Amino acid sequence: MIKVKNAFKTFRTHDRREVKALVDFSVHIKKGEVVVFIGPSGSGKSTFLRCLNRLEEIDSGQIFINDVDIYGKKVNINKVREEIGMVFQLFNLFPHKTVMENVILAQQIVRKRRRSEAIEIAKDLLHKVNILEKESNYPSQLSGGQQQRVAIARALAMHPKIMMFDEATSALDPEMIGEVLDVMKKLAKEGMTMVVVTHEMGFAREVSDRVVFMDSGQIIEEGTAEHFFTNPIHDRTKLFLSQIL
Amino acid sequence: MTFNKRSLITLAVLAILVTAAYYFLIRRGITYIWHWEKVPEMLFYIGSKSADDPVVRLRMGVLMMGFVLTLKISVLATFFGIIIGTVVGIARLSKEPVTRGLSLAYVELIRNTPLLVQIFMIYFFVGSILRLSAFVAGTAGLSIFAGAYVGEIVRSGIQSIHKGQMEAARSLGMSYAQAMRYVILPQAFKRIIPPLAGQFISLIKDSSLVSVIALADLTFQGQQAVARSYYTFEIWFTVAFLYLIMTFSLSMATQFVERRLSISD
Ligand SMILES: Nc1ncnc2c1ncn2[C@@H]1O[C@H](COP(=O)(O)OP(=O)(O)O)[C@@H](O)[C@H]1O
Ligand SMILES: [Mg+2]
Repeated sequence: MIKVKNAFKTFRTHDRREVKALVDFSVHIKKGEVVVFIGPSGSGKSTFLRCLNRLEEIDSGQIFINDVDIYGKKVNINKVREEIGMVFQLFNLFPHKTVMENVILAQQIVRKRRRSEAIEIAKDLLHKVNILEKESNYPSQLSGGQQQRVAIARALAMHPKIMMFDEATSALDPEMIGEVLDVMKKLAKEGMTMVVVTHEMGFAREVSDRVVFMDSGQIIEEGTAEHFFTNPIHDRTKLFLSQIL
Repeated sequence: MTFNKRSLITLAVLAILVTAAYYFLIRRGITYIWHWEKVPEMLFYIGSKSADDPVVRLRMGVLMMGFVLTLKISVLATFFGIIIGTVVGIARLSKEPVTRGLSLAYVELIRNTPLLVQIFMIYFFVGSILRLSAFVAGTAGLSIFAGAYVGEIVRSGIQSIHKGQMEAARSLGMSYAQAMRYVILPQAFKRIIPPLAGQFISLIKDSSLVSVIALADLTFQGQQAVARSYYTFEIWFTVAFLYLIMTFSLSMATQFVERRLSISD
């Protein structure tokens, strides 16, 4: 479902330094797989996710989503993005719109659904993430955990084939992490293809098929969550795990 | 300080000035004979347009006609100023160097030359080529002038919106234009209401400059009325008061809108 081949991405900072965010990066994610990416800050995890829906552009290499080369000349990137839901660390709900409006906006203008149909879908999803009672509230009136659950519903409303989570629980107070992880676990168990950047190893152990450890824009080690708990091989992996566990 | 308070203070100052005018004229022994009773008919009167016009009804006096024209020009220039400004504000942030350069050139050109000169140039140069009336030239001049300032305000408003908003919108499959229209601009406009209101209040006042191309706005009618009647003080105080009504109403409307939009905060 997702095939990344030899992707390179280098940023130029304001003082003209070069930062290699992805170095000859290749990965393969199958339909229905839940893959967790871990790694120290600055290791290129967000860059990888953002290149998957072209919020950032790779410098070279290829990325296929459902066998479509998303960097191909004839590709309509908006069509590709409809199929890939993205959940951000800082939620990024639209603050001028109510919860309901947040969830129906893209359905109406991108998926071209009728308002009544969009509302029906939204209600189902808000119910699923357990926040239907806040449908007419504004994001500012919600806790972080509630906002993140709305953001997940908003992404799901497009009926994406893939969901990406970029440290979706990192900005939350500890007592709210669980409620968001629960929603993510539910999705994983329903068979959603998920690309998850997180340091929640409990989540990884419970639902992930694979864990990938990244550093300096490269994959250092990959295996099951169990592998990382019991016998990580590389020193960098061990050092990192000792910091987060 | 809010615009409302400011307008009230302006009103108080105006009242004090009228009182002071009376006082100093008396002190200096100048016998200025006040004719406030002549002012109402410059606003409204009942009568016919001319001697051979039999229709007698309520008609606008010269100052009221000027008021209406000033209002018309200001509303039109505000409308076009917002449209031009929105386009320019977005263009200023474009990835295209040509678009960015052109919009910057426009903004700099307009902001660094006097409005009076711009109005002359549009009326006498562009206007004579395209055969524009004084009304069209004046309105165009003010719109183009306002557009440059509004453009900078809009640009700053767009830049003040967290970039995660654009990314969230785009990641849902919205085009750049859709994201701007439904996500970025509504938030940006909400944030820039105060500077925009300030800009349009300035615009109402700046519109008095169109009187130089013989457009019969409030200032022009005031000048003419003074020249005809010599009720200098009464007329200019009335003119000032009429401008104040417009700017005051605008600031009231702005506050109303701002309160309405603050529910999502
Ligand atoms: N827009 C950018 N401009 C410059 N450097 C960037 C930009 N985005 C990311 N980087 C750099 O690329 C590297 C990888 O960043 P990122 O993918 O955000 O890492 P992670 O998500 O693993 O913390 C970091 O060194 C970061 O500073
Ligand atoms: Mg990151």
